[in-house]
Amino acid sequence: MDELAPPDSAMNGSLLSVRNLQTHFFSREGVVKAVDGVSFDIRPGEILGIAGESGCGKSVTSQSILRILPRNGKIVGGEILFQNDDRTIDLATEDADGRVLRDIRGKEIAMIFQEPMTAFSPVHTIGDQIIETIRIHQEVSKEEAHDQAVEMLRRVGMPNPARNIDEYTFNLSGGMRQRAMVALSLSCRPKLLIADEPTTAVDVTIQAQMLELLRDIQADLGMAIIMITHDLGVIAELTDRVMIMYLGKEVEHGTVEDVFHRPQHPYTRGLLASIPKMEPGRVEIEPIEGVVPNPYAMPSGCKFHTRCPDFIAGVCEKLDPPLTEVAKGHEVSCFLYGGKEGLE
Amino acid sequence: MTATTRAMNMNERAIISVRNLVKHFPIEAGFLRRQVGVVKAVDDLNFDLNEGETLALVGESGCGKTTTSHCIIQAQRPTAGRVLFRIGDAEPMDLTQMEKGELKEARRNIRMIYQDPYSSLNPRMTLLQIIGEPLVIHRMVKSQDDLQERVAELLRLVRLDPSTMNRYPHAFSGGQRQRIAIARALSLSPKVVIADEAVSALDVSVQAQILNLLKELQNQLGLTYLFVAHNLAVVKYEADRVAVMYAGKIVEIGETEALYTNPRHPYTEALISAAPNPDPDTKHRERIVLSGEVADPGNLPGGCAFHPRCRYAEDRCRQEIPELIEVGGNEGQAHQAACHFADSLDLTGIAGAILREEGESA
Repeated sequence: MDELAPPDSAMNGSLLSVRNLQTHFFSREGVVKAVDGVSFDIRPGEILGIAGESGCGKSVTSQSILRILPRNGKIVGGEILFQNDDRTIDLATEDADGRVLRDIRGKEIAMIFQEPMTAFSPVHTIGDQIIETIRIHQEVSKEEAHDQAVEMLRRVGMPNPARNIDEYTFNLSGGMRQRAMVALSLSCRPKLLIADEPTTAVDVTIQAQMLELLRDIQADLGMAIIMITHDLGVIAELTDRVMIMYLGKEVEHGTVEDVFHRPQHPYTRGLLASIPKMEPGRVEIEPIEGVVPNPYAMPSGCKFHTRCPDFIAGVCEKLDPPLTEVAKGHEVSCFLYGGKEGLE
Repeated sequence: MTATTRAMNMNERAIISVRNLVKHFPIEAGFLRRQVGVVKAVDDLNFDLNEGETLALVGESGCGKTTTSHCIIQAQRPTAGRVLFRIGDAEPMDLTQMEKGELKEARRNIRMIYQDPYSSLNPRMTLLQIIGEPLVIHRMVKSQDDLQERVAELLRLVRLDPSTMNRYPHAFSGGQRQRIAIARALSLSPKVVIADEAVSALDVSVQAQILNLLKELQNQLGLTYLFVAHNLAVVKYEADRVAVMYAGKIVEIGETEALYTNPRHPYTEALISAAPNPDPDTKHRERIVLSGEVADPGNLPGGCAFHPRCRYAEDRCRQEIPELIEVGGNEGQAHQAACHFADSLDLTGIAGAILREEGESA
């Protein structure tokens, strides 16, 4: 596609448009199709959730966007279109170590991780690391960068920013490290923040603080957020729209209200039914039968057919279900809702 | 009454009674490793585990829930206090006073399941060896055939195919490994199983399978569970009674439904409020977001350890440590809380949270 196309024409007002992304991992045992044809858009200022269990490809999707895949992972198909001011850049085809991506990473698209200790260097103060990030991407003096860093630490609720800036991560408690990591990632005011399981390793009261912080800071700075998590409670709490993934495929996609109140795909229904609820009285849970298949021996057809209670013999194991729109903006990839015409 | 006779008294339904349990870890510093302080990991804990029930210990990291479970099986020796264990009508034994050899029988009857089935199973042992090992150590099988038969039976019990007994753990998924760990824990037909975050590392669909399996096994075998966990929704589903811990102490203990719908300690209220619920309608509810972090058990605040984070704290809370006292449950069910203002505070539980939302939207 033409890189200098005017904004909006191809992107429809989206900040990021992922189209038919395929990311595969190559190893001696074979090829794992970690992400196998995933498409989604995110508009400026929107919060999108990507949810699914281990091995569904949610983290690989985010690593593909930033091109920080492990060495044996490769994008083998699809586009990752990012609207950077008036240019549309296909992140999938850019050189992962090239100028374009280095300018985008950390500045336009930032990421926060599950374990804050891995995001920071233990031998530099958090201030040094935030100031370095600011000075790489912006032409400002050390003093100015210092002031910006203090300001960002204040925004994320560090108790004493002027002092915290000179601290090392090992001096900070878990919750404070998380806040410092958010400050680092937001220091260049990115347009898009990718949060990969940021609340998984922390206690519930710290998780509540973190969700509140993300909500406040999103309202404040207006960036878009992609929230990647296995915790549907976190998705319900924070996001506007959600995409549910299973074994590298998108199974359902819609507003959180649609997906949680009117789940259509048998996998989404199964997931919701298997979570214990914080509701009064006895609420039974129903597990999904079976286990997630071995990634080297993926099922044919619909990936979920081996565990699906609504399995249609002769259809589901043969064909890949297409995405069907069941309501405006609510898409499901399941033969229960159409797409099997091609078979007859 | 002497301390001993009082301590040896057990509630008649109890299978394990924990009395004034204390576990302190010294903080050492300097070249001579002088003791400069103490981490009060578990500080004067009292509770009963009743036969056939599931009692959950919940709390955040560092609250002492895992240390408590270790002190019960004497994997860590408590600093003080008693752990009374009784099998049937026999005299209670105080596990804290027993030598290693004497503990064998108690340990056969109290088994543990750990959080991470990837590190708790030896990768170089087959399922037969993993599950059969306790049987061999405790000389409960006579021959190799006998052993294989018992292991096959245990695998069927946890819904695994007995023909897999000669395979290694790496061939199994997380959920299947946790089943293997359960089979090993059940191999000696224990009375009590301590499950320490046994489902925390699992995906939700598999977590549900294991939660239901644990319940079925409890009904089938009459097991008693001590369920150590941090996930409140999981605890609500699994436990009959819940003990909420904070900084080494129980702050509230009661029947699950009563504790969740009518919490009597501000910390319980905050935990319930903070737990994310997979329902987008609750997105806009007023959440109690506690400021600060869990109290450092090496440097506890004076008075009630929760007071720096408590929105109801008053002067008394900064000075006086509240006792765990009866706060009056429904229909005579015991419900205790350690808060000076347990009787006067109007706290919100899960039912209240939902009612309040409906009231707002109406």
